Amino acid sequence: MASIPSLAELRTLVEAQGVTPTDRDLEAVRAFLEVLLPAWEEMEGLVPAHTPPAGLFLPPEDG
Amino acid sequence: MTVAGLARRLQARELSPREAVERYLKRIEALDGQLNAYITVRAEEALAEAAALEGASERGPLWGVPIAVKDVIDVAGTPTTAASRVLADNVPAQDSFVVARLRAAGAILLGKLNLHEFAYGALTTSPHFGPVRNPWSLERVCGGSSGGNGAAAAADLAAGTLGTDTAGSIRIPACYCGATGLRPSTGRVSNGGVVPVAWSFDTVGPIARTAEDCALLLAAIAGRDPGDPSTVDAPVPDYPGRLDGGVRGLRIGVVESLVGGADPRIGAAVESALEELRSLGATLTPIAPAILPHAGAIQQAMQFQEAAEAHREWLHTRLTDYGDDVRARLLVGLVLPSTLYVTGQRARRVAFEELRRTFEQVDLVAAPTMPVLPPRIGEETVEVDGREVPYRLALVPYNSPWSLVGSPAASVPCGLVEGLPVGLALVGPRLGEETVLRAAHAFQQATDWHERRPSSAARRHSASLR
Repeated sequence: MASIPSLAELRTLVEAQGVTPTDRDLEAVRAFLEVLLPAWEEMEGLVPAHTPPAGLFLPPEDG
Repeated sequence: MTVAGLARRLQARELSPREAVERYLKRIEALDGQLNAYITVRAEEALAEAAALEGASERGPLWGVPIAVKDVIDVAGTPTTAASRVLADNVPAQDSFVVARLRAAGAILLGKLNLHEFAYGALTTSPHFGPVRNPWSLERVCGGSSGGNGAAAAADLAAGTLGTDTAGSIRIPACYCGATGLRPSTGRVSNGGVVPVAWSFDTVGPIARTAEDCALLLAAIAGRDPGDPSTVDAPVPDYPGRLDGGVRGLRIGVVESLVGGADPRIGAAVESALEELRSLGATLTPIAPAILPHAGAIQQAMQFQEAAEAHREWLHTRLTDYGDDVRARLLVGLVLPSTLYVTGQRARRVAFEELRRTFEQVDLVAAPTMPVLPPRIGEETVEVDGREVPYRLALVPYNSPWSLVGSPAASVPCGLVEGLPVGLALVGPRLGEETVLRAAHAFQQATDWHERRPSSAARRHSASLR
């Protein structure tokens, strides 16, 4: 399972985009990632090779 | 009063548009101090619009009907705050597409409704504008993000409302407030002039008292908008005219894992509602799409990043002006790899294919709208299956699957547990609003759950205003 980034790693990612969060903000981000990263790993396992992305707006021919 | 009932009285001249507006302004004055459903009441403007309508020669289907919209939907000259300090000074110059369509149908814009900040959460406890209180139990939330819509519909503070839904934001407050809500198919209604959460999931739709009201409102706003490339160029059915077809022969797939995963009292109410539909002629079939447990993760793989992109400029300049929970969600979107978005879109195709096959077997899918009763204001965990889980995680499996694939989904009142409303979710194939509304209407013709009114202080005020 992918490890949850540290606060320092998260800060580097966020500040590289010109945003300056507090440690409390980043702790909240980590809390989300603790739940989401395992779910996203499972998601990757669902996608057969060569499956193309869905269209952004799901055109009617997809429906 | 329902949209349909009020429209009939207005058309029959039993009531004037001005009298209709005055009725709701009185109710808002009496009740909204407790409920906090409105951010802006357009009292003077609504009265002026009523006066203008009284002299008009043409009457649309919503002629003189006072409608309120969630405060992410632009009304020219009225602030759109999104319940956030970030947009406190934002006054749009133009109507959103849907508001222009409401006006064309003759509606009067009564005001702007409170919501979870930036429509990015499901509690409607904005740190800037305060919580919306549930008319059924004032210490509880209305759900969200269109919480003001739910409260306004339940307490009769507008004839009908328009909200938005990205991952449940129409269905959840409709469920928790005993109202009827419809998330239309993605692309069925324009998002032009609406503050976005995540473009590929956002949808404007009605929250009102009945399926008939939702049909009237959807008929007014649905259709292609040349200014919004997400809208589809597909014929718009006559939703109100096709409500009466009944459910005989309709095949309804029941997601038993979602029924079984809900509070048993909610599950029992939903099962009773399904039996009612069976007695009306529908057939019930258990279904278990394998993608459902993963739908929330798939949607969030894209939603976090779309939302962060929509807010990028404000994240640079107004970071501390966001409430804590919304700021955290937006920052999550900044730390995710771009490959995750593409993987999410690939998984979305898998979901789409599976649910397309599902809708070859059934005409509608049914489940509880929400598995738990509304939390008390300030609570952020709920009990699911004997475990305490964050509220935001409890709602995802019940709402995200249908947002992910762009399906229309309604929440219809189907019972009371501890005196609080419970909702039945009815989901159709993409662009299948007609079938969803027809089934919801048939259910409401046979039951009276949608006619039950709150027993809180709001109702006592209500009685004095009748």
